[in-house]
Amino acid sequence: MELQAVLMAAGGGSRMMDLTYNTPKPLLPVGNRPLIWYPPNLLERVGFEEVIVITTKEVQKTLSTDQRLKTDVKMRLDVVCIQEEADMGTADALRHIQQKIKTDILVVSCDLITDVALHEVVDLFRAHSATLSMLMSKVHEFTETVPGQKGKKKAGEQRDFVGVDITGKRLLFMANEADLDEGLVLRKSIMRKHPRMLIKTGLLDAHLYCLKRSVVDFLVHNKSVTSIRGELVPYLVRKQFSKSLNSQNATEDSEKNHKQQDTHHNLELLSTSKDEALLQLARERSCWNDHRGDMSEAYHGGKLRCYVHIMEEGMCYRVNTLAAYIEANRVVPKLFEDPPIHPAAVVSERSLVGSDSIIGPLCQISDRTSIKRSNVGTSTTIKEKVKITNSIIMNGVTIEEGCNIQGSVICNNAVIGRGADIKYCLVGSGQRVEPEAERTNEVIVGSDQLMEI
Amino acid sequence: VTRLRVKPGESILETSKRTNSRQLPEEQPLLQAVLVADSFNRRFFPITKDQPRALLPLANVSMIDYTLEFLTSTGVQETFVFCCWMASKIKEHLRKSKWCRPTSPNVVHVITSDLYRSLGDVLRDVDAKALVRSDFLLVYGDVVSNIDISQALQEHKQRRNMDKNVSVMTMIFKESPPGHKTRCEDDDIIIAMDGKSKRILHYQRAQALKRLHFPMNIFHSGSDEFEIRFDLLDCHISICSPQVAELFTDNFDYQTKNDFVRGLLVNEEILGNQIHMHVTKDGYGARVSNLLMYDTVSSDTIRRWVYPITPEANFADQEGQSCTHSRHNVYRETGVSLGHGSQMEENVLIGRNTMIGANCTISNTVIGANCVIGDNVTLDRAYIWNRVHIADDVKVKQSVICDNVEVKHGVVLNEQCVLAYNVVVGPDITLPEGTVLSMHHPDEEDDEDDDEFLSDDNDVGYRKDKTKQKVFNPAEVGSEGKGYRWKTSSLEDTEEDELAECIWGLVLNADPESDSESEVSEGSHDLGSHPASPELDDVKVFQNEVHGTLQRGLDENISCDNLVLEINSLKYAYNISLKEVMQILIRVVLEFPFHQQGAQISTAQYSSHLLPLLKKWAPVFKNYVKRPQDQLDCLASMEEVFLERETHWAALVKVLMSMYQLEILEEEGIMHWFNQGSTTDKSQQLRRNQGLLKFIQWLQEAEESSEGDE
Repeated sequence: MELQAVLMAAGGGSRMMDLTYNTPKPLLPVGNRPLIWYPPNLLERVGFEEVIVITTKEVQKTLSTDQRLKTDVKMRLDVVCIQEEADMGTADALRHIQQKIKTDILVVSCDLITDVALHEVVDLFRAHSATLSMLMSKVHEFTETVPGQKGKKKAGEQRDFVGVDITGKRLLFMANEADLDEGLVLRKSIMRKHPRMLIKTGLLDAHLYCLKRSVVDFLVHNKSVTSIRGELVPYLVRKQFSKSLNSQNATEDSEKNHKQQDTHHNLELLSTSKDEALLQLARERSCWNDHRGDMSEAYHGGKLRCYVHIMEEGMCYRVNTLAAYIEANRVVPKLFEDPPIHPAAVVSERSLVGSDSIIGPLCQISDRTSIKRSNVGTSTTIKEKVKITNSIIMNGVTIEEGCNIQGSVICNNAVIGRGADIKYCLVGSGQRVEPEAERTNEVIVGSDQLMEI
Repeated sequence: VTRLRVKPGESILETSKRTNSRQLPEEQPLLQAVLVADSFNRRFFPITKDQPRALLPLANVSMIDYTLEFLTSTGVQETFVFCCWMASKIKEHLRKSKWCRPTSPNVVHVITSDLYRSLGDVLRDVDAKALVRSDFLLVYGDVVSNIDISQALQEHKQRRNMDKNVSVMTMIFKESPPGHKTRCEDDDIIIAMDGKSKRILHYQRAQALKRLHFPMNIFHSGSDEFEIRFDLLDCHISICSPQVAELFTDNFDYQTKNDFVRGLLVNEEILGNQIHMHVTKDGYGARVSNLLMYDTVSSDTIRRWVYPITPEANFADQEGQSCTHSRHNVYRETGVSLGHGSQMEENVLIGRNTMIGANCTISNTVIGANCVIGDNVTLDRAYIWNRVHIADDVKVKQSVICDNVEVKHGVVLNEQCVLAYNVVVGPDITLPEGTVLSMHHPDEEDDEDDDEFLSDDNDVGYRKDKTKQKVFNPAEVGSEGKGYRWKTSSLEDTEEDELAECIWGLVLNADPESDSESEVSEGSHDLGSHPASPELDDVKVFQNEVHGTLQRGLDENISCDNLVLEINSLKYAYNISLKEVMQILIRVVLEFPFHQQGAQISTAQYSSHLLPLLKKWAPVFKNYVKRPQDQLDCLASMEEVFLERETHWAALVKVLMSMYQLEILEEEGIMHWFNQGSTTDKSQQLRRNQGLLKFIQWLQEAEESSEGDE
């Protein structure tokens, strides 16, 4: 086994609380499948047979009961539960399962939906014997109106600055705009080695990482690192060009000079597989080089290398905001060849269901109802003369007669009273919308939930 | 200001041009160029004392000819040559050159003025005279290039058409990453550009920097892809719109192109002007801005990187310059004779009628016309100009030897030597690395050169009446030598950003790792370490100022409050810490009697002078000596002063007593100081002084008695 897959599915979805208040993020329906189905599917497609799933008790319970998931996912899920209250970061989670990790790992987040050719990322990892290789994609512009959001998406979102070399593969720099008050600072030594640096903004980190086994060991020794994206990745990117790591004799000296501990961990990061000597020899004997210009050896003698694969086209969503959730629901159904109307759904012949909509199992759709560009989840009842466009209806929802629902998200078990007119709203789980209500651009959630926020 | 139109070619071409334009009124305006044949700096001193830089030979052809050839071949039809230093020589050269023949496709106008001090002056003059009608090329007279500018020109025009007059300049760059031979370390530029529009967002010279800093506002241009490039060499060729000249007029403080570019980028939001760039991959373009670049560009020319501008092409079309090109890039002009056993290994160019003796080894070398080279001579990376005599058994490594130099028997020139015009060295002397010899005495310019501007020079004539009798130093030039040694490093440049630059330019940093500082703590990005504590000089000056202030206070009977005010303002002016102010004040006051009465005064005289002063200035002291720590510092500096003047130790106790009585010092402070473990023998000795011991004892008793009272 070359890579062990680790699926991080314990996140709370803090950026879309309205949706995740009652449903844990991994179980949110996207295209009538729980979100957590997508990453294993991605892994399965490239031949992984087993994945370690780090998640909460609640999700585990559903995983073990959900029949559909069981039949759909053929790979073995090794579920590890962590306590929700512990407030563990992704790096903490890796530390938690370090016993299980025997090889290099591929970490993927449960909110990733992508059709990337995964081998691109892994090939970078293999070809350069990289310490880290990761996946990024061009940020998608969300076109749909987001319920409860006034105006266009705010541009205030802090951009990530990602610096890559001229091949666009080697990751040289990474920072968030928020940390760059003083301006962007680069060390000249980096520019000497990579005289052309492309700084890209507008990239989405897919949170998919290949990591060397030694990085896990490093995490075990550095307990202060809690998050992969927040701390570990920036650290690794910076470390690529630190002197103590790159020149061998320096480690000798620094052992005495520097803090003992620090050196220890540096070495920890370096200790690679036993093939390293052979690889070294291969590089010495080969005329291959990763750069041109100066005459120094490949990688300038650096041992720690980070790479990134940037998707130029294709689909890549991280379902971590409401806008992304809505967008993903629009796009995802097109990718699968499931019948748009589940065989177990009861759809009246005198209703109109557009081919761009999907209807989940056990739904009941009555006469003279029209559904366009919408997803309708399991066990939902839709009465007569209802008009649904551009909406996401989750499971167990009841929509009474004569409703008009447009551009909205209706969460599990909500009830929409007869004749209600709902435009661009989010209706929380179990909410009741009174008959004849007219709501526009609102977030309708229970009062207890409001307190929470 | 004299403006001279070169006559022969002009009349004919002017008329033909006029008829042309009448026939085709819609034709593109003719392409113009501004060639600045002056560097406005002294990098090539002392060589350029005798010959302007533009006329220095590079591969046996004057540099300005390369520039003009480049302009002509890229389609320039009218060139304005601006000269200042030794303008007459340049004019004369151009008059004889092919550029002034009637057949020349490029009309050359020479404009001279002694008043040009910078590129800014030239461009302001271009604007004042309204010389340019449309986009023009701006180059220096020492640029060697074969770049085809047409594509860049097209892009420039497109940008100007699309966005009316927003882009004012397109700079031409050549790729040359760190470690590349042509990378000019003087011009170690880092550029941030917009990935799509090729707009320059940030332009900085980076040679002294370890960290490169980019302000955030450059990333707010709406683009999502930026490129930071450290692999570019500024060819010093730019395509400018006429606005550039206007901008120089509007901003009279712009002197150099660097000022202009930086100014435009900083004020982009205000002025709304943009600068774009064009990077050539295949073309060659470099400016000979120092001798290292001279070395590089010469060898590149010989190695045919500037094709079709090669030595055998004789593009300047000068008689007798034609040469043959054989294997290993060996070029020979006519009439070259080579002695038995001599080898021209590779990359050698030998001028006409040069005679080379037997058993010489010559590689990577250019030799001018009519030179005589003896037997057993080894030349490597030597640049030997015309009519040079080199005797037997000479070794030359990477050096420049100017016209009419005589190198006598057995001389060894190590790397980066310069023998300026007419120098004689030898026999049997080894010149260390970096020796610069000239017939001009290094001091002679200092005498005549009082104006703050540094053009190449103003005073053309040499001063024949040398006031000082200057002798050649045989240790420097050999027993029969003639010439003075120049200290290279002392040459300063006002144009370039206060960098002390030498004639050879900065040395290529061989070890790229040397500046990759080990990552001590990545968190502390801010290099903004505390400014170094004020230099010693400042402290010294401050001390003198304080002395002056007190002296004046004494003379004019200024009140203590005003003295404090003055000292405080001095403190800010020289950025002196409060502690240092006090230390210096103590020192100044204690030394005051010596300054007034001379250093020889007796102890009794000293104290009789000092004590009234202490009393007079007590409020000043009280202003600075407030906390217990201040008292200790005060005592420590008193001790320091007295340690330097052993003979006056007896006065110490009087000073202490007086300070105690004036309530500047308190007994706790004095006791604490006295009991402090003294470090040196001498200060221990000081503490064993009889008077002092008595004083301390008295203090102790006083303390006890006062305690007893309570």
